[in-house]
Amino acid sequence: MTRRILSGVLGVVIALVVGAIIMLIEGYEPLATYGALAQFSLGGIGPLTTTLKNSVPLVLTGLSAAIAFASGPVNLGQPGQLVFGALAATLGGLYISLPPVLEIPLLLLLAIAGGALWSGLAGLMKQAFGMSEFIVTLMLNMIADFFTAWVIAYPLMDRKAFSPMTPPIARSGWMPDIGPLNSSVLLMLAAVVVMWFVFQRWRAGYEWRITGQNSLFARLGGCDVRGNFMAVMLVTGALAGLAGGLVVMGGPHRFLKGLGANYAWDGIMIAIMANNGLVETLIYGVFVAAIQTGALGMELITNVPSEIAQVLQAVLVLVIVATREYAAVVFDRLAARRQARERAA
Amino acid sequence: MDDFISLEHMVKVYPPRVLAVDNVSVGFQKGEIHSIVGENGAGKSTLMKLLYGLVPFDSGVVKINGAAVHFRKPGDAIAMGIGMVHQEIELISQYTVWENVVLGAEPVRGGIGGTLDSARAIELVRRKIDEFQFNLDPSAQVERISVAALQKVEILKLLYRNVSVLILDEPTSVLTPQEIPQLFAELKRLRDKGTTILFISHRLDEVLELSDRITVMRRGKKIATVAASETDKEALAEMMIGRQVIFTSKRTPHPRGDRVFEAKGLSVTRHDGLKLLDNVSFSVHAGEIVGIAGVEGNGQFELVNSVMGLAAPTSGSITVNGGEITKLSILERRKLISFVPQDRGKMGASLPASILDNAIMTHHRLEPRFSAWRGLVLNYRNARAFTDTLAKRFSVQMASRQSPFRSLSGGNQQKLILGREFLLSTPFFLMDQPTRGLDVGSIEYVHGEILSMREANRAVLLISADLEELFLIADRILVMHRGRIVADLVAEQTNIEEVGRYMLEGKITA
Repeated sequence: MTRRILSGVLGVVIALVVGAIIMLIEGYEPLATYGALAQFSLGGIGPLTTTLKNSVPLVLTGLSAAIAFASGPVNLGQPGQLVFGALAATLGGLYISLPPVLEIPLLLLLAIAGGALWSGLAGLMKQAFGMSEFIVTLMLNMIADFFTAWVIAYPLMDRKAFSPMTPPIARSGWMPDIGPLNSSVLLMLAAVVVMWFVFQRWRAGYEWRITGQNSLFARLGGCDVRGNFMAVMLVTGALAGLAGGLVVMGGPHRFLKGLGANYAWDGIMIAIMANNGLVETLIYGVFVAAIQTGALGMELITNVPSEIAQVLQAVLVLVIVATREYAAVVFDRLAARRQARERAA
Repeated sequence: MDDFISLEHMVKVYPPRVLAVDNVSVGFQKGEIHSIVGENGAGKSTLMKLLYGLVPFDSGVVKINGAAVHFRKPGDAIAMGIGMVHQEIELISQYTVWENVVLGAEPVRGGIGGTLDSARAIELVRRKIDEFQFNLDPSAQVERISVAALQKVEILKLLYRNVSVLILDEPTSVLTPQEIPQLFAELKRLRDKGTTILFISHRLDEVLELSDRITVMRRGKKIATVAASETDKEALAEMMIGRQVIFTSKRTPHPRGDRVFEAKGLSVTRHDGLKLLDNVSFSVHAGEIVGIAGVEGNGQFELVNSVMGLAAPTSGSITVNGGEITKLSILERRKLISFVPQDRGKMGASLPASILDNAIMTHHRLEPRFSAWRGLVLNYRNARAFTDTLAKRFSVQMASRQSPFRSLSGGNQQKLILGREFLLSTPFFLMDQPTRGLDVGSIEYVHGEILSMREANRAVLLISADLEELFLIADRILVMHRGRIVADLVAEQTNIEEVGRYMLEGKITA
């Protein structure tokens, strides 16, 4: 445990140093840049709550990817599941108007159902035709992307707008602010807690974990491997769908072009950084959100382009993963050398 | 006489903290057969790999003719005349014997970038075969020759490279009893021509028969080097294990009960029509241990898959307690069948998962006490208590319940799996090579537990490639050969030689 924290912190530090070197080569001042990044993402209530709100889609899609990868199914369909969740919530918000206590849960359920529908489709293709979910989810991303683009450009287009987008959803479906904090953040935290409980304490979660590690053992042990596969696909799709729903309900309150952005791909990267750990996904998700949020502010006061955030993020992923794997090897080798020296003496 | 090769103060620690070779010094003389014996995990293979340059060592010195050498890779060792044949045969099965032998050191026409001179290659290989009287056809395709012949090809590969020291890692483990004397005759002939042979084994009878001198290792340490003529099996065993071992069966007569397991006309046909399992019928009764002997790959795998439900048999039926199981799900079968697979890491456990997670597998589905809320949530309090009971009852040495399963030693891993399966209340027990890769102490323990299952009136089907094991604990021995059961013998009325003949030839020819 301490080793895991140590290698994580070490990875972040090394990544920041590598990022600093890149900035120096480009002729920017690393310390000032990092200072601005931190100031606009963590320096005060306003930046902090913005960072947390921006972390919602990253953490939720990260959670989706982490649970899928740790349980076996290679669900890479978070981008498609996210926009489908967003579309479902938008449709609900456009055509149904109820008081907030009903409207918000309804739209959230629709988002969850939308994401689960899209991942469930991939799951069915696997079960019925033996098609690899890896390729099917990737292809469904494309379909979801262009399908939603068509929906907002034709049937649901807001005629008054200059670019493709839907009209705003019912006001009662907006995620309310609690003080400076958007309530979508609380939902995200709740999702992490619930999923941790399911994954670590439920019988199904136990079977998912074991299946992800050794599916033949799980199968011989009497686990319902086929049923679990479908369940994991549906749950992880639901999480990505929820992310999409919250993006709409917490942010622009409508489905506009490019809404999915890179959230889901970033989420997958976050899961990889977190080594599919659920708590780690939350931590790294907020961290990446901080960098992205800080970068926009940083651009205002320094001459460093905000794209540096993307460079930094890529460096982070590579360095953190490399540090983790290599640290394990180094720790083991050091222990071995120590013992060998003792025996030779 | 000075040592030809000497290893001085060799230490190897596999990261993170597996002390494989613990300050070992040993010398080998020219032209001797020197056996290295020890239990699994005693460090005998590792010691030889250090000499061969396959595994880097942490400290120590290797000397040849008194001069220190340092091999960084096996190629360096081969250049100095030292070659090693590994446990697993590493040949290209589509190639012929001579192609495998010359691969990497081919005679070439026309210098660099030239073409393979096959005529000369065949001639060179044939000359080596004649020199050492190996009785091999250089043009035979490797996938069509016997395991014993494959091993000869491996040795020939090294002799072709003019190796004068041969390291053989458990070469007899893949051979049938009938093939071993021939290998030994060839090895002795090689020694008489001046080759030094370092022979790794844990089979004491073989070692005593073959070697000039014997080095015994235990837990990474060298215990002693003795002349084969001045020791015996009991003395070696005691050095190997550190205490006395009794090589006799502890099996006492036990009345068998009702029929529990029955296979009828079981067949598995491959898509090309080959019968992997051919009309197999047998039964196992309560309180009876039925052993299945046979060279691996003669249908045992298909039998296990059919029983466990991993693959459906092409035809035939399997019943447990009178009920047909071939249509049941694996979970339904697990209510009737306990299963110890041959490969712990692949089928018997999840290595990265905690010991607790491994201990409750199958129990978590079959026993209500392990779940709450109608099976939604696992009851970890009961799971923890169960893991502790299991570890205690089956003397599993573990750091903590939450340690990863892979942190356990092989023996402890197997004890945990055995205990988990034992504690399922099933009438039938299927064990597939349950002692493979275990040290003698653990094997004794496993055998004791299997016998206590018999006492508890459970029906045990034991698949094993180790005939001694079958004779120690099985009541009946069935022999599988090419997918068929060719003999059904009562243990007391047969012997190792007879079973060995059935394994090899499928029938007894007068």
